[in-house]
Amino acid sequence: MNALTASAAIATGRVQLANVRQNALVTARLRALWVMVLFIFVSLTACVRIAQLGLFEQTPERTSLAEALLPSRGEITDRNGVALARAFASYSLWFNPKAMGEGGAPLVKTPEEIARALAGIFPDADYADLVARLKAGKPCYLRRRVLPEDANKVFALGEPALEFPREEQRFYPQGSLAAHVLGFVDEAGKGHVGMEQVLESRLLDPAHRGTPTALSLDARAQGALEDELGRGMLETSAKGAAGVILDADSGEVIALASLPSFNPNRSDLAYNDLVFNRVSNQVYELGSTFKPITVASAIDAGVITDLSVRYPAVPFPVGKFTIHDSHNFGASLNVPEALIHSSNTVTAHVADLLGPVALKRTMEALGMNERPPIELPARGFPLWPHGGGEGGKGDWARLTTMTVSYGHGIAVTPLHLASAYAALVNGGIWRPATLYKVDPAHLAPGRRVFQASTSARLRQLLRMIVVDGTGRKADAPGFRVGGKTGSAEKPGSGGYRKTSLIATFAAAFPMDKPRYVVIVMLDEPQATAQTGGQRTAAWNAAPIVGRLVPRIGPMLGVVPDAHHDVDISDLSPLVGSGEGE
Amino acid sequence: MIVSAHRFRSIGWIALLLICGALVMVLAFRVNALRSQVHRTEQRIIALRKEKLYLETEVETRANQQQLKLWNDVEFGYVAPTAGQYLASERQLAALAKPDGPGSPTPIRVASADDAVAAEAAFPSVIAGLASAADFAAPAPRVADDNDSKAAAKPADAADRAKATANLGARLAMVTPLGKDSKTGPGKGKGEKAGKDNKAGDNKAGDGDGKPALARSAKAATPAKSGKGDAEKPGKGAKLAPARPDAKPGKASPAKSGAAHAENSAKAAKPAAKGSKSAP
Repeated sequence: MNALTASAAIATGRVQLANVRQNALVTARLRALWVMVLFIFVSLTACVRIAQLGLFEQTPERTSLAEALLPSRGEITDRNGVALARAFASYSLWFNPKAMGEGGAPLVKTPEEIARALAGIFPDADYADLVARLKAGKPCYLRRRVLPEDANKVFALGEPALEFPREEQRFYPQGSLAAHVLGFVDEAGKGHVGMEQVLESRLLDPAHRGTPTALSLDARAQGALEDELGRGMLETSAKGAAGVILDADSGEVIALASLPSFNPNRSDLAYNDLVFNRVSNQVYELGSTFKPITVASAIDAGVITDLSVRYPAVPFPVGKFTIHDSHNFGASLNVPEALIHSSNTVTAHVADLLGPVALKRTMEALGMNERPPIELPARGFPLWPHGGGEGGKGDWARLTTMTVSYGHGIAVTPLHLASAYAALVNGGIWRPATLYKVDPAHLAPGRRVFQASTSARLRQLLRMIVVDGTGRKADAPGFRVGGKTGSAEKPGSGGYRKTSLIATFAAAFPMDKPRYVVIVMLDEPQATAQTGGQRTAAWNAAPIVGRLVPRIGPMLGVVPDAHHDVDISDLSPLVGSGEGE
Repeated sequence: MIVSAHRFRSIGWIALLLICGALVMVLAFRVNALRSQVHRTEQRIIALRKEKLYLETEVETRANQQQLKLWNDVEFGYVAPTAGQYLASERQLAALAKPDGPGSPTPIRVASADDAVAAEAAFPSVIAGLASAADFAAPAPRVADDNDSKAAAKPADAADRAKATANLGARLAMVTPLGKDSKTGPGKGKGEKAGKDNKAGDNKAGDGDGKPALARSAKAATPAKSGKGDAEKPGKGAKLAPARPDAKPGKASPAKSGAAHAENSAKAAKPAAKGSKSAP
């Protein structure tokens, strides 16, 4: 029994051992199986993934080269491809108070110290404003645009809270050059004032913004114009100055400047009075520069057939009003002399013979009764003299005709005058001014205002004014400049003000085949030592043209040549000598 | 046996399929690897273009019109050129030069890499006149065995002139093209001799015989640098000798061509230069 019991017990133990072993084996196999399944699964997954990557993977976020390089806003260039405005990732100065963690002071030094250092780096910064912003502890821009070297200086202050994120902004590499033409882009990315506003949709259009938009401007001529105008303005202590260079044949604006200017790179400061464009927006009575237009109209109409005919040059009473000249030029003058000395009375006589209908028609044909035809958004409406009859649409009164003939009683922009002078010298075709580069094969359809013979005669007369008359200081040697001065008194309360003048010089060169029209205007120039104590255009506006033309001529393809000139030999004998306005 | 063959074939098919699959796989992998490489390169191009734009803008900003004006006011003081500084034509430019007077220093002649145009252009009329006089003295016909005949020389001459008018520098060397009589080159005998002695010289002697003799003398006078040049110059030196109006062509030439045989080209060039100097 005991033995049986013992053997049974042993047998049971063996069985149990065998079971344990079997169980262990099963478990082991099961585990191995699991490991194998897991391994196969992992390797299968890896294979599938590799195959997927190797065979089908197309990087979805991948963008093409062109797309990646597409600027956020299209570039604007001048006619030669010089960048005037471009989208550019520039540094800005951002104050991040949480840069050093949530608790504690945002700055290592005191806000006053930092503000003082920043004001040292950026001289135009407002110290009090900086202190206020740094103390407020709110994240904000301290400055929208920072130069790399200034960013380095700020970095050297060792403040982690001052960050320099690079942001795509509108940048004008040429600074304030052509600011009135370009305009500026505000912080919200919207264009204002100039072509930035006009071209807004094109500059933002993904289909077009990749290619730069070429304007008709020439950056070199623009620089020279601004430079010379600025100098003239300083020399005469004028309030402002305006200038425009126009291609006489195509109407392209080669340069357009209105001073004082603004810096479009500081869009935060740009919106002020200086954005007002004196060339296209402000209307002026441009005075004697209208006389050649009157004479051309009279030659065209057959009123002047003989330039040697003399007209009385004594004060000319018209109703209650008497037309005077600036000086006494003797009892009578012929037309070339009248232009050379800038005689109001003779021009009034010519206009009287011409009549209001013909003069008005000429002025209308030159676009003097509508806003200047240019792309800029700011265009001034001329002060067009009222005529008689219903709603002032009828003919001008006799006195109005006479005053308009010498540029009073009618106020237009300098751009109007530039287009008119282009028509005067280019053979008689008036074309709208444009800021787009024009293909010479696709000129805008112009309208004929003067006959070609009239234009040829005017080229002689304008050249004579510069050779012998009031425009002598504009006579750049070899450039065959022709033009007319104009010094108009500004209207004030109680009539014209004797000491507030608008001095204008309207010129074209080279006169044997005019390529460019140059208009220079000074607003209220003062009599200074540089201008010989005079404040008329002959002394301040004409010299600007005389300095400007040699600078721009060769760059614009006009080579000076002392041996060429427009032939004035048939008119020279008609002219005596004297001084004019 | 049949089963085994069938099996073998199916195993073969499977193996082929596997190999093809593997090859496709490898190809696909390579394609995609290349594609991602292209992508990386594009990224790099984009980054570089942006960097370029950045640098370009920086340069433009630093050198903008106003900045240049300031520098000019302070540093350079450049002014626009006046009307007197422009020349309308080469004639005006040539008019600025002083004519050679008696006892004037010899003009310095400088070797240049591309003197073919200048050398092949016709020379000033004064010299050309003398050259034609020399030709008159030695009215031997040009090398006859050359391919271009006299009739072909005319267009060749015109082409050379067109080439000469291509740049201003070349045009300065040419004032008046030579008359027809200048077409007859230097003595045939000398040309042949030079040709026999020196193959390169022969080539030179053969072409462009419509040119005046002295046009070549200028070239010959330039000291040769390369070995090839050395080989060419003696030939010309030999040819030039008869151009001297005072020298009798028949006698002078063997001596000169003898000099041309000398290995040192400078030596060969010297007599030629002398010849050219003595001509005017």
